Amino acid sequence: MKLTSLAFTAALAGATALTSHTALADVKVGLLGGVSGPIAAMAPPMLDAAQLAFQQVNEQGGVAGGQMIEAVVGDSGCNPQNGVDSATKLVNVEQVVGLVGPQCSGAVIAVANSVSVPAGIALLTPSGTSPEITSIEDKDTVMRTVPSDDYQGRALARALLERGTKKVAVAYLNNDYGTGLAESFKAEFEANGGELAGYAAHEEGKASYRSNLAALTRDGADTLVIFDYGDGTGLTILRQALENGFFENFVGGDGMKSEAIINELGAENLTTFVASSPVGTASSSLDLFNDAFAGIGGDPNAIFVTTSYDAAFLMALAIEKAGGDKAAVAAALREVSNGEGEPILPGEWKKATGLIAEGKAIDYKGASGDLDFDENGDVPGAYAMFKVSNDTFESIGEMK
Amino acid sequence: MTLLELINFYLIPGVVLGSIYALGAVGITLVFGILRFAHLAHGDLATFGAFAALALVAVGGVNVWVALPLAMAICGAAAIGIDKYFYDYLKERPKILTVMASLGIALMLRAIVQVVWGVDTETYTRGIVRPETYWGIRIRDRELYTVIAMLGIVAVLWFFLKNTKWGKAMRAMSDNPDLALLSGVDNRKVTMLTWMIVGMLCAAAGFFLGLNTELKALMGWTMLLPMFAAAILGGVGRVEGAVIGGLIIGIVEEMSVLFIPTEYKAALAFAILLIILLVRPTGLLKGKVL
Repeated sequence: MKLTSLAFTAALAGATALTSHTALADVKVGLLGGVSGPIAAMAPPMLDAAQLAFQQVNEQGGVAGGQMIEAVVGDSGCNPQNGVDSATKLVNVEQVVGLVGPQCSGAVIAVANSVSVPAGIALLTPSGTSPEITSIEDKDTVMRTVPSDDYQGRALARALLERGTKKVAVAYLNNDYGTGLAESFKAEFEANGGELAGYAAHEEGKASYRSNLAALTRDGADTLVIFDYGDGTGLTILRQALENGFFENFVGGDGMKSEAIINELGAENLTTFVASSPVGTASSSLDLFNDAFAGIGGDPNAIFVTTSYDAAFLMALAIEKAGGDKAAVAAALREVSNGEGEPILPGEWKKATGLIAEGKAIDYKGASGDLDFDENGDVPGAYAMFKVSNDTFESIGEMK
Repeated sequence: MTLLELINFYLIPGVVLGSIYALGAVGITLVFGILRFAHLAHGDLATFGAFAALALVAVGGVNVWVALPLAMAICGAAAIGIDKYFYDYLKERPKILTVMASLGIALMLRAIVQVVWGVDTETYTRGIVRPETYWGIRIRDRELYTVIAMLGIVAVLWFFLKNTKWGKAMRAMSDNPDLALLSGVDNRKVTMLTWMIVGMLCAAAGFFLGLNTELKALMGWTMLLPMFAAAILGGVGRVEGAVIGGLIIGIVEEMSVLFIPTEYKAALAFAILLIILLVRPTGLLKGKVL
């Protein structure tokens, strides 16, 4: 009996020590990424960039009265089911004050509808580009640092027409990302006199897409536009199209701008492949980020690293502004980046906390752009076209 | 559309895909027939086999065709191990427990692949291979080898089951395990032998899938439904049925693009599975009814 009560007391003491420790030390932020699944090669640099922002915050005094930010990474698997599972754990078990991510549109929509909006948690995605995200009933808690694909699809359509490509076939992945991008591309391309010789969705994870491709070639287009992920089905489709000589030219959206394509197919086979991607406009913010990210061994040209860094830094600013109150983070996100107030550049955490403490307005100027959210939580963006050169992607000009 | 186009772009891909399905379906049908449960870890065991071959190619530097039998041996041993430590423990309990356990094994195998090999898409050889043309028919070497290897492996298995002592023991256990036990068949040894063969078939299926496309952690899992559909279509417990079922599903999936929108291609295996269960639950060749 004596032993039991002793053990009980010891356990109780241990538990108390544990809780008090975590309560003081950390503010948890959920970092949801497609660690496994079709964007597995893109996700690690994006997560590194976000971690860099939190590292800078922690080095410069932490958030909400000197607490350290702890990023809890969850794997969304780039699909709605895994996204909801991970987000539920982050929100309910880890008790995060905000979510940076998920990275894939389908996961963003599912997580917003069934986890973050009901819980009133702010969700800031660095790469969920589907136009569908604009219209989520989100009580103003879902925002993004990446422009909607509505812009990208239209910009890509205009860029292709300008290059003299009037007739294309489109193969798109049947999910929120692929469908959204394909629809905006189709609308703009046809409105400006382009002709779609083929327009077909495909499912993920099949071993053969040759019959799909054969059906798309039937009306004689020599250019194939692929809206898919370059680590997933997009790679399979591109490989089978190249091997069978189905099309001559290949165009991809941002999802196809993946190193996996170059690594697996070889740059020598990709001379006719171009991909569009959102880019940061040249600014001192971008230079600051590039130096800092290169400093931790990251590649500043990797896709979505600027938007990921900005999302994480903005989230930290909003938490500071909200004083650590998770219900106020979403509203604070708007306040720290609405185009009014003292400009804050990437990494200027001390300056920002000083100004917030004084009650002054701040305006974050991100590495990927000014990031002034519109009423839907969207930001405008700039795009560039990339080609493959020397085993990496090289910009061949802005798209308007 | 000309006949050549139909053959090149629809029939040949269908046959190659069907051969991969067939290799998986034969394994599923063996487990179904002899051990009497639906093995949900089959796809992920195939993924494991494919990545084992990748390790041999990338790290060991061996030729892909040397890696195949080695990976089959590794995967066979892994299958025996899985049975010894997980399934065997549950063998006296209702079969549904083993089925659920196999789902857990599937997740574990996938996690192992992701931890050891990472989550990036991989290939056995870098670059692309353009097809050779024989009298207008375009076919890649590796596609030819896939079909030939499938037929070869199944022929060897067929001979083994028909003509050897252990093959006969496996068939006896498939018909009636109690009677087989009374006749002196060592059920434990037959179970181990079955897992050895199933593991080898899994590795072959995964290898050829990886050879013809890419290696991904989810590659096997997404193949599970068509493989099950093939096994049930052919008749559960019938090796030759699984081959026919696999080829039919593969060809129908590719041909379907001519008639239905491409996004429904993936649903086709499911539709076939439903129809066969409704219309002819024994499968094309008379198999067991589950």
